[in-house]
Amino acid sequence: MPIDAAETPVDTKVEIPKVRAFRRLLERLILSEYLVFYITGVYFLIVWPIVPEIASFSSLRNILTDMLPLLVVAIGQTFVLIVAGIDLSVTGVIAMASVVGASIMTSDGGYLQGSALAIPVGIIAFLVVGGLIGGFNGWCVTRLNMPPIIVTLTGMMFLGGAAIWFTKAHSPTSSIAGLPRAFVAIGGGTFAGVPIALFVAIAVVVVAHFLLSQTVFGRWLYAIGINPKAAKVSGVPVDKAILWAFVISGVCAAITSMLLTGRLETGTPVLGQRILLDIIAAVVIGGTSLAGGKGKIIWTVGGVLFLVTIDASLKLLGSSLFIVFAVKGGVILLAVGLDAMRQRILARGSG
Amino acid sequence: MSGFTPRITRRAFTIGSLLAAGTAGLPIMVKAQEGKTVALLFDSLVSPFWVTGIEIMREEAAKRGWETLEAISNFDDNRQFEQVRAMIEREVDGILIIQTDANAVIPAIREANAAGIPMVHFNRPPAESDAYSVAIQADNRAIMRETVQFLVDEAKRIGGTYKAAILIGDLGDVNAIQRRDGFFDIVDQNKDIIEVVSRISTEWNADKAFAGLTNALQANPDINFLVTSSDFLHPQIEQALKIAGKWNKRGEEGHVLFAGFDGDEGAYQRLLDGFLDACGVQNLFLEVDMAFGAFTDLWAGEKPEKLLLDPGFVITQDNLEETRDAMWGFSVWKNQQG
Repeated sequence: MPIDAAETPVDTKVEIPKVRAFRRLLERLILSEYLVFYITGVYFLIVWPIVPEIASFSSLRNILTDMLPLLVVAIGQTFVLIVAGIDLSVTGVIAMASVVGASIMTSDGGYLQGSALAIPVGIIAFLVVGGLIGGFNGWCVTRLNMPPIIVTLTGMMFLGGAAIWFTKAHSPTSSIAGLPRAFVAIGGGTFAGVPIALFVAIAVVVVAHFLLSQTVFGRWLYAIGINPKAAKVSGVPVDKAILWAFVISGVCAAITSMLLTGRLETGTPVLGQRILLDIIAAVVIGGTSLAGGKGKIIWTVGGVLFLVTIDASLKLLGSSLFIVFAVKGGVILLAVGLDAMRQRILARGSG
Repeated sequence: MSGFTPRITRRAFTIGSLLAAGTAGLPIMVKAQEGKTVALLFDSLVSPFWVTGIEIMREEAAKRGWETLEAISNFDDNRQFEQVRAMIEREVDGILIIQTDANAVIPAIREANAAGIPMVHFNRPPAESDAYSVAIQADNRAIMRETVQFLVDEAKRIGGTYKAAILIGDLGDVNAIQRRDGFFDIVDQNKDIIEVVSRISTEWNADKAFAGLTNALQANPDINFLVTSSDFLHPQIEQALKIAGKWNKRGEEGHVLFAGFDGDEGAYQRLLDGFLDACGVQNLFLEVDMAFGAFTDLWAGEKPEKLLLDPGFVITQDNLEETRDAMWGFSVWKNQQG
């Protein structure tokens, strides 16, 4: 009696060596902590034939300069997420710092109009606004035990409104223009052909990386994110460290505000109001955990690069809004799905 | 992590591959074709004016054999700046832009100038600068003057004295300022019969408009002359007047002389029903034609004026039948009626 083909035993464990090698490569890629860089590379290669312009020098330069403001504010957010917090007020800081700084420097009736001190004082004003708001957030979280999401959400709402009020008190229009050329160069100028904003962003990346990876303060932040009670018992000044994480976030948002205000040559109360989701998404896609205790600056760089590359491709495609949302959402879902898959693989492996 | 070799299951591999393939396929669907291309950069599509505007632009571009690339900045000036740079990279032939902020758009104009790509602003002119671009804008002040004049003539025809209220837009928006000024140009000449008792600042916010008008009607129950700077506030106005017992048709006792601005489908419906007396209409069809005409001129090496004005028109109960075809809101209304 002939054996039915359907009943023929198949050895599923037999694999062609090439397939096995491919799987191993895929596993290595997926388990890599730099996965987001690989996904960005793959996405770039997929989009390249569709919009060849994306690989041009000027396009790559645009991607680089477009990512800098988002990168700086996302780095600040990384500090807060590592301590299991969240800072939703960063968009409010960006708006408020923009109009306060501009009101000092503007040639249309600025507080220091025409003075040599206008730019340095303006820059200090940006940073002070960011630091003070960050400090206030941190104080509310640590001293009043208020949830970070509530403190910073209300801060975002308050600052959004206050920035509009401040602008109306300082300008007959809806924004503050007439900023000094030397300040504008921070956002849109170059030095030896290199965007000045790149120097600023590199400085922020280096300092942030150093703080997180090379200092006791960095270790405190990770310890607090993993288990704040255990950290406190171990002698970590939990409240102080959390407060400083929020201050860093506020200052980074203020630096982003400077870059954007310079780029647009305008202080505007709606600056950065629509990028909150991009900020959080970039940090989380990079690999920083919303639950705290895990995160690296290089991961945030990867997350920002990924989002900005998607954005750049969609802008070049000039597609309708629903396509933009669909593609962006789909690609982010893919990235998060791959990350979830990686976590499952790691959990299975360690178990 | 050392000491184990994690493995991807077949199911996980398949799901991952399908997700990747599906996502990669989406951009392919929207690849723009080669040819004469104009970028349409809107800051939002939140009102019927803009939705209808982009539809008219698409149709007009298709008629002229142009391709369009579209992007919405969602009120984000920085994103719009990046969109302009992306369109420059795409080497489009022209950029039509509706910016959020008149000052913040200047660097984008400079980028377009440097790339030699014509830029046309639709409905909102940029702030004064050394950068060159062409703006198409409704002659808000003149249209509002004409609209309010019709209302004043009605008041004179009916007789009596009037207590007026105006709903003013966001004073950071030049359109709102011009419309307000057009209103006062006329009422100030007719102080013998019209007294302005309420200036309601809406900041283009429907809730503020409703609250402001409700308060005004409580403080001045005899308001009988009402002008809004935009038709999108009609539902709130209707509600406030109904609460005050003043939502009456022309010819009925207690009718409030009422004029709008924009010319949307709601305004047409209220004209038809007899609640609205007049409406200053931005001629959207003409404005699109002027914008595209500006591109053609710029491509031909001409240098049009920086600001080109749409004279607009006023639609009233008297000219409704013969004028409505030029009213963009009537087109929307017709489509809604099926």
